Amino acid sequence: MMADTVLTVRSPSQETSRVPWILRLLWRDKFAFAGAVFLLVVLFAAIFGPALLGKQAVTMNLLARNAPPLSLDKGWLFVLGGDPLGRSLLARLVVGTQNTMAIAALTVTMALTVGCLFGLLAGYVGGIFSAIIMRISDILMSFPSLLLALIVLYVLQPHLATVVFVLAITRVPLYLRTIRAEVLEVRERVFVTAARVLGTSPLRIVFRHILPVVAPTLITIATLDVAFVMLSESGLSFLGLGMQAPDITWGLMIASGQNYLKTAWWLSFWPGLAITLTTMSLNLVANWLRIVADPAQRWRLETKGMAND
Amino acid sequence: MLRYVGLRALNGLISIIGLVILVFFLARLTGDPTDLYMPIDAPIEAKQEFAANHGFNDPALVQFGRFATGLLHFDFGESLRQSRPALDLVLEAYPTTLILSAISMTLAIVVSIVVGALAAWRPNGVFDRVSSFISLAGASIPNFWVAIVGVLVFSVWLRWLPTSGTGTVWHWIIPITVLFIRPCGLIVQVVRGSMISALSAAYVKTAFAKGVKDRSIIFVHAIRNAMLPVITVAGDQAAGMINGAVIVEVVFGFPGIGKLMIDSISFRDFAVIQAGVLVTAIAIFALNILIDIAYAMLDPRIRRV
Amino acid sequence: MNFTGGMTGLLVVGLAAVTATPALAQDGSSDIKIVLTSPLDNVDPCNMTAGYIGGVLKQNVIETLADVQASDSAVVPKLATSWERTEPSTWRFHLRENVKFQDGEALDANAVVASIARVLNPAIECRDRFKFFTNIKITTKVVDKNTVDISSEPALALLPTYLAQVGIVSPKTDMAALTKKPVGTGPYQFAEWTPTESIVLDRFDGYWGQKPEVAKATYLFRSESALRASMVEVGEADIAMAISQQDATDPAMDVTYLNSETLRMRMALLPPLNDIRVRKAFNLSVDKQAFIGTILSGETKIATQMMLPSINGYSNDLKPWPYDVEQAKKLIAEAKADGVPTDKEIVLYARIGRFANDEELLQALVQMWLEVGLNVRLQMVESAQWLKLGSKPFASDRQALLMAEGHDNSYGDAVFTAPFYYHSDGSKSELSDPQLDAWITEATDETGEERTKLFQKINNYVAQEIVPDVMLFHMTSVMRVNPRLIYKPNLMTLGKLVLSEITFKD
Repeated sequence: MMADTVLTVRSPSQETSRVPWILRLLWRDKFAFAGAVFLLVVLFAAIFGPALLGKQAVTMNLLARNAPPLSLDKGWLFVLGGDPLGRSLLARLVVGTQNTMAIAALTVTMALTVGCLFGLLAGYVGGIFSAIIMRISDILMSFPSLLLALIVLYVLQPHLATVVFVLAITRVPLYLRTIRAEVLEVRERVFVTAARVLGTSPLRIVFRHILPVVAPTLITIATLDVAFVMLSESGLSFLGLGMQAPDITWGLMIASGQNYLKTAWWLSFWPGLAITLTTMSLNLVANWLRIVADPAQRWRLETKGMAND
Repeated sequence: MLRYVGLRALNGLISIIGLVILVFFLARLTGDPTDLYMPIDAPIEAKQEFAANHGFNDPALVQFGRFATGLLHFDFGESLRQSRPALDLVLEAYPTTLILSAISMTLAIVVSIVVGALAAWRPNGVFDRVSSFISLAGASIPNFWVAIVGVLVFSVWLRWLPTSGTGTVWHWIIPITVLFIRPCGLIVQVVRGSMISALSAAYVKTAFAKGVKDRSIIFVHAIRNAMLPVITVAGDQAAGMINGAVIVEVVFGFPGIGKLMIDSISFRDFAVIQAGVLVTAIAIFALNILIDIAYAMLDPRIRRV
Repeated sequence: MNFTGGMTGLLVVGLAAVTATPALAQDGSSDIKIVLTSPLDNVDPCNMTAGYIGGVLKQNVIETLADVQASDSAVVPKLATSWERTEPSTWRFHLRENVKFQDGEALDANAVVASIARVLNPAIECRDRFKFFTNIKITTKVVDKNTVDISSEPALALLPTYLAQVGIVSPKTDMAALTKKPVGTGPYQFAEWTPTESIVLDRFDGYWGQKPEVAKATYLFRSESALRASMVEVGEADIAMAISQQDATDPAMDVTYLNSETLRMRMALLPPLNDIRVRKAFNLSVDKQAFIGTILSGETKIATQMMLPSINGYSNDLKPWPYDVEQAKKLIAEAKADGVPTDKEIVLYARIGRFANDEELLQALVQMWLEVGLNVRLQMVESAQWLKLGSKPFASDRQALLMAEGHDNSYGDAVFTAPFYYHSDGSKSELSDPQLDAWITEATDETGEERTKLFQKINNYVAQEIVPDVMLFHMTSVMRVNPRLIYKPNLMTLGKLVLSEITFKD
């Protein structure tokens, strides 16, 4: 008769508490786990960095000018090397996390929110309203970002808020257009027409049907946008329009190290690596979240050892 | 279709005019450029003479009136730096940028669709992990690095390629590689994400479950359905490139619109800034019209609005 | 993946094998390539005071009546063989005979008169006119075929020095618009100009002087120092102008030289900088020696005044400020006790990307001042903003500030520095000292020994009695030269790279 084989997949309801279940799923995807750990380290540095290493990040020492990395001659602080003024790169990297993350998070959040709002409006409402929004979006895409940065920073002073504003404005069109494209498509689906006929509020349609479809793409774009924002900030700093010393950001460190690529590669390398690792971690965690959030995909994580097909 | 394009072109034109007006007035907020064109120790009288000659002291509206009249004959005024018609400068710089952008974007799109789709076939599989790693690295690496390191490795150390300049096909290899890395990385991820969603659609699962012979046909259908966000993102990246690939142009000495604009902005060469913005805007608006048409072609359910 | 990887590898190797290496094997050829930092906006000889334009044209394509020597600032004959001052405001120049322009026209008094009129023509907006002749009226008179009288109002004791900056062009040159093909009397003719790409100069066989060794010079443009350095390394160029210190890793090819620019921190004399004790404290708290060999090249020289030793009027009496932190603190305490607001924040404005490692230098400076209790903040600004902050008319609500300022006097005499920076009417001057004004006016009209002594007195007075700045360094540049060439740059090279001085090693 039936062989006494029972699939040993434990359903969520059999777990004792919900928290370990999430962590277990995270552990199933080792890369995402590593990414999450890295992000926690970054968060820690962002919050506590300036308090812990603030002083070391600004102590100049011309004798340690451009000290090479990977040697403990000058102490553990200089394990990543020294910058052209002999300051510890490790300390600067850690302290700079706060500004960098603040700029990146604020910029992407702002751009995402504004872009989504207007993209939804443009896609859903249509007509002349949509045309106006789209043309403004096109104008934003065509306005040279450097000129915009210059104008904003001429009228106001270079400050974290103004840098965020300038960077966010240039990112809005991408989110706006992405969500609008999705809305245009979903809007025509039968169930949406049905929902409208039934009198469902547009908000509900948006949240239940449109956002879930477009969320994965938006998150992918947003995580990579974080990198782009950090690098744009680097470009702005290089031209004197972004954050300036004594503020520290990873972008500023990369810009300062640009002239030393041949002779002191570590100046630009570590902040660049930090940006890349942050981006990768964000992406890995985002992809993991996506699998977890979608019941149709979750099995990939729940059943360990089965082929992913 | 023609009516649609015509309407879009019309309201695009109105927007572009609005844009140019906006740039005109906003750019002048950044001050009078006289100091930048005078020797540093020129006496005040010399500066006043220069400013008067170029109308910098006139009220903004008067200056705008002059500009608008000129615009009617396609005369953007003369570049302050080169004393040549601004439009000429811009039109000379464009072809380089367009060629760079076209080649880089095409390469990026083709490569990323292939790689992204293959990665989505087996999420979290080996190919996916490796391609994600490479694409994420590419999307988050500073352009400047890649450019300089590329030159140091391939030109100085290996002597395989020339360092810079535009002469032969070889001169374009490193610049195009530098330019294409980021959009490619970004679009690979978008394609991958989009394809994963597309591949989890009911019809796909059913077809595979039923053991359909040639999975690749379904695959191709899925790709088509996944293209919507990809086109949007690709369009955005292309627009960015049309605005000029500044780093590549500066490092490799390619006389494109990016370098022209950055120099003109630094030198407050208003005429060139205005001409440049106008030409760029026309290209970007046209691109966006094409993208909207592409949406409709991809998914006939989309009513064009 | 393996297949594509292998194919790519094969392709790259194949390409490399097939590549007709564009690295030009130029050894043995007398054509050279020079890579500059930025393209030329225009090539008009009346703009040669702009260093990047003069560097290509001056004494190569276009010559002047007289020339200033780099070594000792002596004014030597060029197109004029001799000159004398016939009246206080008039100089008579005797032209060299049998000199032809590159287009066949002859050099005579009429051509000189026409050239000068061209430079002074308001329609062309010549930079040379803005720099030297805005407030000076020049009139010319043809005496005979090879003699011309040039008068100035006001009378200029150094008219020949001024005229050493005025290029003499062919009478066939367009007199009312910028030219795209300058024609002069120099050893090279202007062959070709692609604005964003290159300029080509060819040796002119009808030149009146000695035939130079370089037959053809092509100028290229690359903004990135690492690129310029690499180009010479692989042979795509023979000379790279101004590479950064970091890229100068090859002593066989790289030569560091004083480039005639002096760096100082100019002070706006507003509280607390209106108190001389505070200004002295600023000077005493800088350890200038610490920068040499570290952030700045080892060849950098500490400066005591705004001009180099070879300039007429340089005072040998001045010594650099010592590094004395205790004294600095004492002076600040004294000033503070008298009510001077020594804690007030003073902003140091500097232009971005002005010279290599500028930001590091300035940050270290600020740190030194912070350590003695002065409150200084660095603000890097864009060129346009900086110029506005530092030139008259000054804003009415101006606060005490510092300007990181570089001045290059490569014209041989202190009169090209003092009036602008020290006279109360000078557009860059923060000073208002009637005694100083009187001396400057007097010195400008003097000649010979008396002139030199007066300017030396002015330099001493400014440095010792006024202390209007923190005088820092005479700056250097690095040039990379292919070993097959022999060329020694001097302090005028950045504005005048004389091709005939380049010879080949054989």
